Amino acid sequence: MKKLTMQQKKRREGYAFILPGFAYMVVILGYPLLYNIVLSLENVNVKTFAGKSYTFVGLQNYAALFHNATFLLILKNTFVFTFWCLVFQFTIGFLLALFFSKRFTLAGPIRGMILVAYMMPMSVTALLGKNMFDKSSGVINDLLLRTGLLHARADWLLQPGTAMAAVIVMNCWVGIPFNMLLLTSGLTGISGDILEAAEVDGANHWQRFWKITVPLLRPAIMAVLMLGFIYTFKAFDLMFIMTSGGPLNSTDVLGTYAYNLSFKQYEFSMGSSAAMVLFCILFVIGLFYLKMVAAEDQ
Amino acid sequence: MKQKIKKGNRTPRERRRNFLLCLGAVLIAVVFLFPLYWLISMSFKTDAESFGKIVTYYPHSFTLYPWRTNFSDHEFLSSLKNSFVIALLSMLLSIGFGVPCAYGMGRYRVPGGRGFMLAFLVSQMLPASLMLTPMYLIFNKLHLLGSYLGPAIAISSGSVPFIVVTLRPYFKSIPTSLDDAARIDGCTVLQSFVQIMIPAIKTGIITVLVISFLGGWNDLAYSMTFNVQADMRPLTANIYKFQSKYGTKWNCIMAYGTILVLPVVCMFIFLQRYIVGGMTAGAVKE
Repeated sequence: MKKLTMQQKKRREGYAFILPGFAYMVVILGYPLLYNIVLSLENVNVKTFAGKSYTFVGLQNYAALFHNATFLLILKNTFVFTFWCLVFQFTIGFLLALFFSKRFTLAGPIRGMILVAYMMPMSVTALLGKNMFDKSSGVINDLLLRTGLLHARADWLLQPGTAMAAVIVMNCWVGIPFNMLLLTSGLTGISGDILEAAEVDGANHWQRFWKITVPLLRPAIMAVLMLGFIYTFKAFDLMFIMTSGGPLNSTDVLGTYAYNLSFKQYEFSMGSSAAMVLFCILFVIGLFYLKMVAAEDQ
Repeated sequence: MKQKIKKGNRTPRERRRNFLLCLGAVLIAVVFLFPLYWLISMSFKTDAESFGKIVTYYPHSFTLYPWRTNFSDHEFLSSLKNSFVIALLSMLLSIGFGVPCAYGMGRYRVPGGRGFMLAFLVSQMLPASLMLTPMYLIFNKLHLLGSYLGPAIAISSGSVPFIVVTLRPYFKSIPTSLDDAARIDGCTVLQSFVQIMIPAIKTGIITVLVISFLGGWNDLAYSMTFNVQADMRPLTANIYKFQSKYGTKWNCIMAYGTILVLPVVCMFIFLQRYIVGGMTAGAVKE
């Protein structure tokens, strides 16, 4: 028997640690993912479910989706929701990160406290949103009435436009701390020396921000936007509890729509197809993100 | 270089600046923590106060009745138990598969290593709503619907890649001299992993323990889809049931929500630095 070289022995050890976890992931995630692709090309629903074999229908499910006005509305909703969430959570998150990067006594503790929203179960955030935006007992209406911004109680969650706004507000409550945190860790990486040198050279606040901070922060900004997109685009819990996608599908997004197709209408193949559309969009953004992470990892 | 300014040495101008910044920070905290305050304060209000046309900003007649209502409900208690069981089970599965894998990825150079890493990064991004349908049909065949194991496995599919991505840099940072020392002491590979490497990255281990527990605790989609029976569902998945049970009794619903948030807030207070560390890991490289 040949003796293993040191390198071969090392490799075997490495695989012994890596492979169980990797194999587990292939079984519990890789296989269902492939199965989902197959499902989306078949006609599995509550009627054909009992049978043993299903018919291959090609891209028929996808064609049906893209000819369905509701699906197109949902696709639009998902983009609208993601866009406004990103705009607000990034802008406010960035401002907060800049604010808390100043040196003062309470900077650390309060920045930490704000993060609690990010760890809360989304279902409770949704429950809170449902209560706070309630017409008669909701605190949002009360505050707006007291400050004179509103003259009559609004039924936020029962009108399409305002329901979407309410959902976006609640999601930003979670998203802002997340953006702030990632941008803060980017900001601490910028050495004070460069900024001081620029100050000595006569650059004002504005110039220092746009010419030094922003360019140096670019990797963190890109990461936070792409991750933000990925996390926001796949929203599910928030709408499911807060509005159930209503009124009139106005807060329905790809995640909740795919769920409803599979588990309310038992159109499993249609649900799979809708989920695949969600996946493809995430995958494109994900590729950009991975390319960036890989470049940094070099 | 600027040194940390000692309190006594501050000029009046610096003190004023510090005060104004602190004031601003407190205002920001008030806005951001208001929803959490609202959740908790609602849970101590009476029925009439929680659903009156007059909105009160603190419980005018303080009562523990909403909490008692929840805790005297056996359906609530079983959901609470289910939440703990599912969170613990998914944490154990994730740790069991994730930690050794992170160790292998961090300390060994193997062919295909980059490919593995890419696969983990991709799998971290997959949404639950994508996995629900195929997993439901597979679990149906395996008789895993209506069990604790079904949701736990599904949740761990998100936690394992998280653990690998988070812990890999921790394992990487351990100096190789520690391996050699272990080898000389006659430790086997497994012994050195369990007795030396894991204790060496205690901070990272606590981070992934906490976050993978919370991942299970916070789950709604998987538990709700795979476990249709109310008595097998965790608190998150039974929210609708209790909403219809309590009707407009917002105080009881908010007590329910507060209890659901309590472990998160407690862990946050006591283990904040671990949680914050985990939140940035894998997202932005230091």
